[in-house]
Amino acid sequence: MKIKLALALVVATSSVLAEDNFLSTVKRMKINDYEVVWLEDKKFPSFTASVYFNDGALKDSVEGLTQVTFDQLSSGTSKENEKEIAEFFDFYGASINHSVTHEYSVFTIRGLTKDIKPVVSKVCELFNDAQYPQFELSSYVARKKSNLRNLVTSHSNLADRIFRNISLEGTNFSSNVDGTLASLDKIQSTDLKSRLAQIGKAKKTIYLAGPKDVRKVAEVISKKCKWSQETELMTTQVSKPKEQTALYLVPVPGANQAQIRIGRYLNREEASGKEDQFQFLSGFLGGGFTSKLIQELRVKRGLTYSAGAYISMQRDYGRAGVVTFSKNETTAEVVGLIRNILSEMELPQRIDENEFKHQQGHQIGGHAFDFEKTNALLARIISYDHQGKALSQMLDFPEKVAKMTPQILSRSSKEVFPWEKMTIVVVGDKSLVDSLSKIRPVKIIDYKDFL
Amino acid sequence: MKFLLLVSMTLLFSCSSLKTQETLGDINLDVKEVKLDNGLTALIVPDHKLPIFSLYLFYKVGGKNEVPGITGASHFLEHMMFKGAKKFGKNSIDFIIEGSGGSTNAYTTTDQTVYYENLPTTQLEQMLEIEADRMENLLLDENDFEKERAVVLEERKMRYENSPRGQLYLGLMSHLFEGTPYGRSVIGDIPDLKSMTRKQIYDYFKKFYAPNNVVIVIAGDVNPREASNYVRKYFGDIKASPTVEEAHSALKDEDFVPKFKKDKIVKLKGESPSPIFMMGYPTYKAGHKKGYPLDILAGIIGSGKSSSLVNDYILTKKPVATSIYAAHQSLEKSGFFFLGGELVQGVSLDHFRTDLKNKLKSYCETEITERNIQKVKNNYQADLYASLDTNAGIARFLGDRQLLFNDWQFYKEELAEYEKVTVEDVKKSCAELVETPSVFISVWNKHK
Repeated sequence: MKIKLALALVVATSSVLAEDNFLSTVKRMKINDYEVVWLEDKKFPSFTASVYFNDGALKDSVEGLTQVTFDQLSSGTSKENEKEIAEFFDFYGASINHSVTHEYSVFTIRGLTKDIKPVVSKVCELFNDAQYPQFELSSYVARKKSNLRNLVTSHSNLADRIFRNISLEGTNFSSNVDGTLASLDKIQSTDLKSRLAQIGKAKKTIYLAGPKDVRKVAEVISKKCKWSQETELMTTQVSKPKEQTALYLVPVPGANQAQIRIGRYLNREEASGKEDQFQFLSGFLGGGFTSKLIQELRVKRGLTYSAGAYISMQRDYGRAGVVTFSKNETTAEVVGLIRNILSEMELPQRIDENEFKHQQGHQIGGHAFDFEKTNALLARIISYDHQGKALSQMLDFPEKVAKMTPQILSRSSKEVFPWEKMTIVVVGDKSLVDSLSKIRPVKIIDYKDFL
Repeated sequence: MKFLLLVSMTLLFSCSSLKTQETLGDINLDVKEVKLDNGLTALIVPDHKLPIFSLYLFYKVGGKNEVPGITGASHFLEHMMFKGAKKFGKNSIDFIIEGSGGSTNAYTTTDQTVYYENLPTTQLEQMLEIEADRMENLLLDENDFEKERAVVLEERKMRYENSPRGQLYLGLMSHLFEGTPYGRSVIGDIPDLKSMTRKQIYDYFKKFYAPNNVVIVIAGDVNPREASNYVRKYFGDIKASPTVEEAHSALKDEDFVPKFKKDKIVKLKGESPSPIFMMGYPTYKAGHKKGYPLDILAGIIGSGKSSSLVNDYILTKKPVATSIYAAHQSLEKSGFFFLGGELVQGVSLDHFRTDLKNKLKSYCETEITERNIQKVKNNYQADLYASLDTNAGIARFLGDRQLLFNDWQFYKEELAEYEKVTVEDVKKSCAELVETPSVFISVWNKHK
């Protein structure tokens, strides 16, 4: 019954999201020297413009340099100070923000279409003339360091940071994109100016969402932003993941719950051609209330409030993991249960047919929601382009899920989540050492070493 | 309540000084209203861009309807609503929704409990049948009840006990609204959560979960006639609650007015190396005319990088705070204006508190300008477009207003009020605010 539903949904989804329908709203063009991708959206007279730079934190000579370069871009030009710049964007109801990854960076402008010219011109002024005044930089560093020291108040965020560091250790991607207490002190105005000049030379693509007026963004950029474009793409060397023998316990004061992170680094070869299978696997394990982890940990046993799984890829590497938490008394039990769940997943005969079909229906039926939020869709297009994936792959997903089998799911789980390669990080009370030692030898680490 | 403000501000744009005039007419919401004899209201908004829809049910019940001994009942019940009903049995609801590609969740506030689903178009009829089934025939299975008690206690730890910000918010509400229903914790006090019985929750459910206490909003790829037929088919025979109106009318506005006459300073020990703080002032209920200038004041002094508080406390050579903001929150029966933020380590909390109060007074004279008022409106317009990007956004937009004012078009009345607001009005509201007794609460690991 459920498989029929799944297949029926493939047909229904495809009929509406047919390539000539969705792909016709994504137009690729060249405006002056820039490659432009325009996602047409006529709903409101507002726009989103994202400039993709093929340049990211991998080029940081000091941890956090690229992030700070963007963070402080609006801290002052030779004509205006930080407050005047903030006043300008706020008055127009426009926003500027950015996202820096190891592999690439994206600078995003949002506003009303009638304000494209002044708002985008101002953005170009920032890129052309950012001065990175020392006064503002010192203030920024003081605030960032205070935030980092306060990270201990958010056990979940602290666990994410430490898990990332440990699981990526030995790879090119282990550095902190947003810097550390030590690295932030080393960054000077001159470093930021140099880095901005370097970023300005990176290969760029302009991604736009909005009504047809939004194309003016690219025209303004080509006239006002003094960027050049190198065609050479940033490349990276890929490391192999390491075996893990320890469980890392991070004691924090006053914890009556423990945050649990289990997962590992994936290299490019491991994921190549298997992205859809891995996406299905992460949904099966931890995507929604009916996923395996939530059912086993929360619904059947009441051990946690939330549990999730993810497998996310950039172009040259990826990360896979399980995220949950539990009270101190049941933390070891939860880690053990996750190990058992992952072990069982390796046996196709242990995958319940109903659960499997249910997940097919879930992922196929939910596919249309990937196209609802304009800004999220734009971000997804950027990610696909960065990874060199055809947009038509977005549309193929339901069909691929319909062809999935328990054997494929089981094999994927074995490949992605082999227990011996899993990094395990628990952030919680130090008394957990005894119970966690039964799972693996515990290595106690100080959270301050990761700030 | 901010959501209502957004609508009104967009309308105000029609007379703004910016180049192009925008009006709400550009948004063009096509709403069909359905009213049933049992008191149920449904709003249907078709949008055929994608083969999906969002369904929202706004129940008029929340923390304010609880009494000592059953604090947290609304939220606990919210959890139990996913555990099955008579036709759609034990733990089947999540599986039906997610198995078809949908997602579902819920949230509970002081005034309302909201359930929502985002689903493929084909699931509309079944989803309405499920919602009707659990409105009328919730199982409340005893075993599930006990398991969920443990989950709720873990959620409480996560959101409040282990979160200095959660601790801060609970503390602010309990001191600001001390002795009123808004002073109780929505997630519930631990002893109540541990002792609450199935019967207490069942009685609570029977009183508040009824067609005359809910607003349904359906937005997306639906046929309005078909959708309204389904609403009639599945909800039309459910009996209205005979006691819910009485329960609502027993809650008098005056019972929600904070009683304290002097400033309160509250220090809570928590795991925060830097002090985090909130300062709150009691204000007015949703729709009160004096609330509109306060909304604008909050935008001017505490929203955005160019706001007064950011300029004075963050963008300085020696920053005092790493984050700082102001907002005005209007609830059904009362409201509060609040400021909050996180201080840089080493800053004197006492000195900061005094300085903040002095600055707030000075803002009443220096910061309320035509330009700043216009800036707030411009930001609201951009925010509005972003908030209406999805079916879910549209459903929330309409449902909040319908539940609070019994009129999804209430924004028109608000518009009239916003249009009347002048620089002098905001200055006067600001001056009154700073003379009102306040609560200043902080969480810090150095507090005893």
